[in-house]
Amino acid sequence: MAIAIPDIRIDAGAERREIDGAGYLLVAFFALPFLLFNILPVLFGVYVAFTRWSIVGAPKWEGTKNFIKAFHDQWVRVAFENVLFYGAIIVPCVTVLGLLFALFVNRGYPLSSLARTLFFAPTVVSATVIGLVWVWLLDTQFGLVNHYLGYLGIEPVPWLTSTRWSLVGVSIASIWWDLGLAFVLFLAALQDIPGEIIDAARVDGAGRLQRFRHVILPHLRPVISMVVTLQLIATLRIFSQVYVMTNGGPASSSSSPIYYIYNLAIVQNLFGYASAVALLLFILILAVTVAQRLLLREQT
Amino acid sequence: MSATKLMRAASALNRRTLLKAAAAAGGGLAFPHIWTGRASAADPMEIVHWSWLAASDGEVWAKMIQNFNDAHKDKGVQIRMEVVPEEQYVTKVLAAAATGKAPDFGWGTAGKGAQLARDNVTVPLDDLIKASGLDLADFSESSIAASRYPKYDNKIFMLPMDLMSLQPEINLDHVKEAGLDPANPPTDGDTLLEWAKKMTKVEGDKVVRSGIMMTGSGVQPTVTWGIVSAQLGFQRASDDLKTACVNPDAGKKAMQWVLDLFDTHKVSTRDVTDRYKAFGTGQGSIFWTGPWTLNGYVQQKLPFKTALFPKIGDKHVTYFEGGGLELYTQPDAARHEATIQAVKWLSDNSFLWTTVGRGASPRKSILDNPDYKKTGNSWDVRGAFVDGMSFASVGEIPVVNGPNFTIYSGGNFLAKTLEGVWSGQTSIDDAMSQIQEQWQSDLDEG
Repeated sequence: MAIAIPDIRIDAGAERREIDGAGYLLVAFFALPFLLFNILPVLFGVYVAFTRWSIVGAPKWEGTKNFIKAFHDQWVRVAFENVLFYGAIIVPCVTVLGLLFALFVNRGYPLSSLARTLFFAPTVVSATVIGLVWVWLLDTQFGLVNHYLGYLGIEPVPWLTSTRWSLVGVSIASIWWDLGLAFVLFLAALQDIPGEIIDAARVDGAGRLQRFRHVILPHLRPVISMVVTLQLIATLRIFSQVYVMTNGGPASSSSSPIYYIYNLAIVQNLFGYASAVALLLFILILAVTVAQRLLLREQT
Repeated sequence: MSATKLMRAASALNRRTLLKAAAAAGGGLAFPHIWTGRASAADPMEIVHWSWLAASDGEVWAKMIQNFNDAHKDKGVQIRMEVVPEEQYVTKVLAAAATGKAPDFGWGTAGKGAQLARDNVTVPLDDLIKASGLDLADFSESSIAASRYPKYDNKIFMLPMDLMSLQPEINLDHVKEAGLDPANPPTDGDTLLEWAKKMTKVEGDKVVRSGIMMTGSGVQPTVTWGIVSAQLGFQRASDDLKTACVNPDAGKKAMQWVLDLFDTHKVSTRDVTDRYKAFGTGQGSIFWTGPWTLNGYVQQKLPFKTALFPKIGDKHVTYFEGGGLELYTQPDAARHEATIQAVKWLSDNSFLWTTVGRGASPRKSILDNPDYKKTGNSWDVRGAFVDGMSFASVGEIPVVNGPNFTIYSGGNFLAKTLEGVWSGQTSIDDAMSQIQEQWQSDLDEG
């Protein structure tokens, strides 16, 4: 018996054209505002970096004057040096501690559920609140940190009032705040590792350290790369903690490029110069990110 | 019907429906704005006011605005106040003015608005004040002089509302504990240090209660340097605003005077992070600050009184700050007439502001009011801020880069340079050289 087969030849070209039209419209709802409020302001900022402008009136073209000034400005140099120190302290601490906490929770020890909540909790609090709380925790005379250090026979440390320690004080607050995200990423990655591989290694006689080094760590490599990248970018852009805890002081010892840019633009109305410093920061972030990605290239 | 036609019909229907829905949504969102865009003739005129006052004085100012609105409910004019963070205030005013949406009036500080005057963001008030009927003769000459900008036709750009100075607040419990006489506070530098030493508490070599409340960075040491240097004869700028750092040796001596508080006399510590809280919790005995702190400390029942700033050098001066109201440029200049009337009302009725809010009144008629001393906080805590106006002359330098000269600042060029001295990173000579170079450049710019 012949079966009638419906003629279902599809004009693929016509359908593709119809779908594309609707698709562009749907994407436009995001793309247009993104273009207007993200891309265009960035391009405008690049232009302003070459001008002298205080909002009122047209920007006055200055060429590379702002950049030359930035290279001779001691406060710019100090801010960029500080942020490299921040990166050197915060990124390794967040990565290592996040991994250690994730390993602890993943083992399913008693109280690991509570630990999971406690490790992640700071991440959901705003940076301003974190900063205000740590200002009091790190108070030289009455802070809890110095109080407990006293039990260990350690003299009170001027965490936020000394040029030597202010950067460390701000870093402590930042590590505490940033740890949660790294912890969650590592925990998810650990839970993705097939149990059979670890069991096989155990059966083959690999000890705990060997299993970690040769089985777990290679699986975590992509996540480590991501955590380091994200944390590097976040640290290079550090602002809220600096603003709330030390205002960049004392003597700019804890200042950061974003804090200095904020000061130039919002407090001193030097938008052209601030944009130039911001452009320099962008170049630094780009260079560091590319270098870091090349060093920690994912193995496919 | 073929499957092709069916599918085409379905996708066409979806696309058509999608476009209709998008148009309906857009229209629905825009409709309220189209409808409400035009105010009806019955709506009162709304004068927009920006204020940065956020401490206890902000509450009193809000009451002032409320009083105006209550008094003008049936007169077709109301003030809408918005609070803007102080350090963002000028930038936001500039941005608003650039887009034609500046507030009608806002708070200004005498001597700090040169840029706004230069860029025609603030409006000269001479003619408006005359037309409003406000009597300038009722204002102290110094307050009006401080509101003028010599470089811009010497016009008035701010109507003075309050005059503030820095005077020492002294913890009475500490005074009694040290066996000192609260009725005879220090009037010179030596007695000041003597009092400070007696009230300072030390554990080992650490100051745990400061005889003189200070911080290792920020506003407090900067303004202290500014006052002491002026008393010793230093001038940030010559009277003709052409030369920076007149008598630099006096400025260097003042830097050493501040350093000695920490390192020689040991009556202060660099370890204080929040000077207001520290004084309020008894961690400091003598704290020079402004009248904006009074309401807060009185409310928390801190036992203190205020005295006149001691004469440490040859000249008896202290920091001066004048607060006032300035009008901003509007697309419709006719709005200024209503705005100046509102500002006039606030000034005429500023008895509340200058008794309970902050500062001394610039108006002679208010100062002469027999209830002036009896109203608001007790004269024990308020009196020095009023009487001290007679020697409060260390004000702002009225040039475009005036903020670089401000002594009451924690983050400007001056504060950042001096922080290097307080932390031992910069020598006194180097700091003075840097200050001189920058300030001369600022004065040359105009």
